Amino acid sequence: MNTRVSINTETLQEASSQSDAQLHQATIPSPSVSKPDYNKLEAQLDAIKSEVKGKIGAEDAAYIRRIILIQRICEWSGRILIMLGFIQPLLWVVGVLSLATAKILDNMEIGHNVMHGQYDWMNDKHINSKGYEWDIACDGASWNRVHNYEHHTYTNIIGKDRDFGYGLLRLSNDFRWRVKNVWQFATYIVLSVLFQWGVSYHEMAAERVFFGKKKDNRKNQVTHSELKKRFFSKGARQLVKDYVLFPLLAGPLFLWVLSGNLIANLLRNLWTSTIIFCGHFTGDVETFKEEDCKNETRGQWYYRQALGSSNIQGGNLFHVLTGHLSFQIEHHLFPDIPAKRYREMAPKVQAVFKEHGMHYNTGGFWKQYASVLKRIIRYSFP
Amino acid sequence: MSTLKLLLDNLAHRFLHHGSWRGYWEVLMQQFRPAWRDGYFRAQIEAVRNLRSDMLEVILKPEKAWPSHIAGQHVALTIEVNGRLTTRVFTVACGASFHRKTQKIRLITKVSNEGALTPYLSSAKPTTWVNISAPKGNFTLPNTDKPVLMVAGGSGITPFIAMLEDAIENKQLSSAPVHLLYFAKPNEHVLLGQLSALQKRDNRFTYALLNRQQDGQVEAHLSHFTHAHWLVCGPHAMYEQAQKVAKLVEAPLLSEHFAALPTVTTGSLSEKETFSLVHNGQPLAVNNQETLLSQLQQAKQPVTYGCGMGICHQCQCVKKRGVVRDTRTGELSDSAEQLIQLCVSQAVTDLEIQL
Repeated sequence: MNTRVSINTETLQEASSQSDAQLHQATIPSPSVSKPDYNKLEAQLDAIKSEVKGKIGAEDAAYIRRIILIQRICEWSGRILIMLGFIQPLLWVVGVLSLATAKILDNMEIGHNVMHGQYDWMNDKHINSKGYEWDIACDGASWNRVHNYEHHTYTNIIGKDRDFGYGLLRLSNDFRWRVKNVWQFATYIVLSVLFQWGVSYHEMAAERVFFGKKKDNRKNQVTHSELKKRFFSKGARQLVKDYVLFPLLAGPLFLWVLSGNLIANLLRNLWTSTIIFCGHFTGDVETFKEEDCKNETRGQWYYRQALGSSNIQGGNLFHVLTGHLSFQIEHHLFPDIPAKRYREMAPKVQAVFKEHGMHYNTGGFWKQYASVLKRIIRYSFP
Repeated sequence: MSTLKLLLDNLAHRFLHHGSWRGYWEVLMQQFRPAWRDGYFRAQIEAVRNLRSDMLEVILKPEKAWPSHIAGQHVALTIEVNGRLTTRVFTVACGASFHRKTQKIRLITKVSNEGALTPYLSSAKPTTWVNISAPKGNFTLPNTDKPVLMVAGGSGITPFIAMLEDAIENKQLSSAPVHLLYFAKPNEHVLLGQLSALQKRDNRFTYALLNRQQDGQVEAHLSHFTHAHWLVCGPHAMYEQAQKVAKLVEAPLLSEHFAALPTVTTGSLSEKETFSLVHNGQPLAVNNQETLLSQLQQAKQPVTYGCGMGICHQCQCVKKRGVVRDTRTGELSDSAEQLIQLCVSQAVTDLEIQL
């Protein structure tokens, strides 16, 4: 019974050369990749994890505090420079870039990672997954539910992980083709531009708070009115801050600041959206069926995480600006290890994958991004 | 000042999405003032010396804003140990008069090699910045005409030293005498020089150094003091004995006692044990075999949860005290306040959590 959907015909051909004995070993049947010895895979990945865990300490605490410091400096120098645009427009440009960098650092290297609990061991009142709230329209608690729970637990299981296409895009044959998929490339562009609002609205869309037929298989942890309240409250505060409060503070330079903030938010939206798409929707990423994952072992879970993600190669600054989501594979295997540690884990993980004949999906930014765009276009059509 | 703080905190909360204004700038401030932390006072280590091989005296200089203590009160000491903020509570082992004169305070602690904080403290260098809380606690010298009986067990001597220092300095000892029963293991009594100096300064204070091997249990010594006001500081077992007698003879009793954490070994895993779990003030009996999450669910308590395997942090809550075991690694947690995930935590001691 082959239930895994094969995305890529190349991997299909690879699979046909695998031995039959291996094909019958595992409980998750797959036509595309040889099945690893799950117990061995589990032990090897656990070993990588515990080795790094033993090293986590002062260095990691100093690192995240340094990033927070840089974020504060970028944000406030950015906001001030934007107001000085009347002296020299170039200052405004630098200010916008600085503010955009601050927002990217806050959302990715700080917010995303802290909210994953990567720094909870520090016992710091302000740097922990329970208390952190980020500079983005999406309410942190909502994000924790949809992202940390659903997406990271049920990664790429169609019907359980709503991040697969965000209910807007058709990215595999698991979904029936509809007419609206023809213009899904335009939908994707709009989603990228408004990414923070997409993320913010994500949980409510799935819960059918405003539109659509309610699904009865969903267990609600939060009432719809609470969802609405938090959505509007957080969203409104973001709008007031960037488009009313700071522009008003600038007095006659109202429009300079308003447009600067708008562009900084736009840059942040495009960047985060692009990085996240490259981590999950490249051509080789696989999807899974719900029934395959019942009673799965930790080894099988690792396996699914591995094949549901893709990495992007780049320099250290690039990795920091992606919040180390350029190591999406390592992030999915070890979501609560401080993300900078993924750099040293990656070669070891790659070696383990190789040993098990598993595909380690990595490549340069443009290669991965082209692959994403191809996938969006490919599944626009039946 | 407080209105401004309120306004700034409100702005920080609404628009910077941060718990407090000071918290938002914490990392920047730390560049100039080490260990500057929202909600804590700063203090600098002045000196660390061994009173005995396993007993440490730490002299701290708190920042000016620190509100001085009343003799007998304690502070929470927080130090960043390998990136982790680790907190322990210590009695201030000096009077407020000492702090007033020198701007310094003294802590005395027993060093345990398995401890999270004390081994680090013994090697801490002078000038290191640490954090302390405001002084807390009601264990102070009562305002009474009665004679006072102090009963100290081991390191429980520290609040009494502080109280006596201040009372004698400020000539507050009433005409009635103060007597101290100081229990410790043979040859493990500390601060003897200071005790005899205090007695020389005011002969209404007397004391006896006792050990249970030679002098018998605490109860045996209490019967002579039925008319006194009792103060007890020491291990829990000692407090229980004193409390029993106090009830019988109707002596007023004020106490501070500490339950030493049971030494936890992985060997005890197989034996089913029951502990008490206080969550949001409500008690629940839990065992050490199932996770806290499943037991809270069975008890129909409202808990938020998600993956059930320690990934998503939905069931995370604040553990106020107690030790839990991580079911994935067998690792034991710290005993002080920290975040735990209910779905991968089992009780190892009695616990208090905040859902």
